[in-house]
Amino acid sequence: MELFIQQLVSGISIGAIYSLLAVGYALVYSVYNFTNWAFDAFMAFGAFIAFTSISSLFLPFWAAGAISIVLTIILAVSAEKLAYSPLRARKAPRLFMMISAMGVNLAIVNIINLIYGGTFRKFPVDALQPIFIGNVSIGRTDLVAGGISFVVLALLWAFLYRTRWGLGVRASSIDILTASLMGINNNGVAIVVFTLTGILSSVAGIFYGIKYAVYPMMGMVTIKAMIASIVGGLGSLPAAIVGSMILGILETMVSGYISSTYRDLFSFLFLIVILLFFPNGLMGKSVEEKL
Amino acid sequence: MAETTPMLDIKDLVVHYGGICALNGVNLHVGQGEIVAVIGANGAGKSTLMKTIVAVKSYTSGTIMYKGMPLPKESYKVVSTGITLVPEGRRIFAPLTVRENLLAGAYTRWDRQHINQTMEEVFALFPRLKERINQRGGTLSGGEQQMLAVGRALMAKPDLLMLDEPSLGLAPIVIDMMFETITRLNREMGLTILLVEQNASIALELCHRAYVLKTGEISMEGTGKELLEDPRVQASYLGITS
Repeated sequence: MELFIQQLVSGISIGAIYSLLAVGYALVYSVYNFTNWAFDAFMAFGAFIAFTSISSLFLPFWAAGAISIVLTIILAVSAEKLAYSPLRARKAPRLFMMISAMGVNLAIVNIINLIYGGTFRKFPVDALQPIFIGNVSIGRTDLVAGGISFVVLALLWAFLYRTRWGLGVRASSIDILTASLMGINNNGVAIVVFTLTGILSSVAGIFYGIKYAVYPMMGMVTIKAMIASIVGGLGSLPAAIVGSMILGILETMVSGYISSTYRDLFSFLFLIVILLFFPNGLMGKSVEEKL
Repeated sequence: MAETTPMLDIKDLVVHYGGICALNGVNLHVGQGEIVAVIGANGAGKSTLMKTIVAVKSYTSGTIMYKGMPLPKESYKVVSTGITLVPEGRRIFAPLTVRENLLAGAYTRWDRQHINQTMEEVFALFPRLKERINQRGGTLSGGEQQMLAVGRALMAKPDLLMLDEPSLGLAPIVIDMMFETITRLNREMGLTILLVEQNASIALELCHRAYVLKTGEISMEGTGKELLEDPRVQASYLGITS
């Protein structure tokens, strides 16, 4: 029972990180209809900025986090301005957008690789003492990572559903042309969306780095976010979060009770089984084309 | 009707889709307080005209002046000048609620209090929308969606309301109601209206002046009454043969 509760808390925490990533993909996809493959590079970038701020500049964790978020926002908005927006202006097919995103990804990941090398690094924060409730030990890192991730998701929800700009983003995600007839500036929406992307990828990168390690290819984990959003049902924010939670908990249970070697095997098997019985995902309503 | 200084003044407008000429030297003006209709068959260029005015489509040559100024080239800037378009096929935001659709229409305005006031005016015009305020736009009937599309356009407090095929896909009784509302908007609220319509008889009956658009060119113009009585219009657009 103790193991179960420990793994459950850990699973919710990793599920929350997957949620940040899944929502980040869904945002760009829903408005611009292409998969932003550069997203995982943003995540690695955010993690390395925080890593450097602590290990080389000796800044406190919160300051390192703030710097990471700001710089990752700048990176994400720059990618939009330099790589995506010119293509959109020329009405490029979305395949070109994706290839451009892959180019951005390769460039960022390789620059990180050149500077830091490809090794795994421990995120330079002191291990927090776990909290004991009876015999159950709960990792404080899990609590912090999960808690902050949920706060970020709640803020994102409030932004999208309770503010004028959020309404602009949602209207654009439904019909970008009609949105512009309402006076909603598509390029302004792009800056908002990529700012949100920057925040989500940076926070996810930092917590993933703390939980596992910091390395240039760490963004590969975003494939899990894709699985999670497919399991949940594409195109919906709550579904992405539900899918992420299920996947996070499944993974930590497999790691705890079977072996962490088989963790990813179970993730992919789970995806196949879900798709066999729920082709639109657990909460999905309609089949949407998604790459 | 201030014919001397038109509110909207289009001169020698030429629009191409690739190599195909969709509008070929269109001259058209709309005076303050007028209802102007553009009728024509499918593919005559009616929607292209609307899209060009709101800068969704770019034009090759000619001028579009609004209140004596050229219109902006970016569609999102057009609303702020006082022009709104109710697009063809309504294009409401289906997953958003009625309230959110209306708020999206008021996107360029900041004053909450005035926005709420305009929303009440829209509800006075279309009480059905108030009943459905928290319902998603996509669950409304066709007629209600058209009301929502018009209501959404009114939320920007336009001076010139443009409607692209407002009768499309609606039941006759709903069409009558829609056009009655358009007349009321013009008479009671002083809104200037430019509408394009395939349903020529209803458009000509309600408008002050009208243009007939044929393969990208204005082939006739006159008052609604004149065109209704014109044998060529009767034969081509009203299905009347003498």
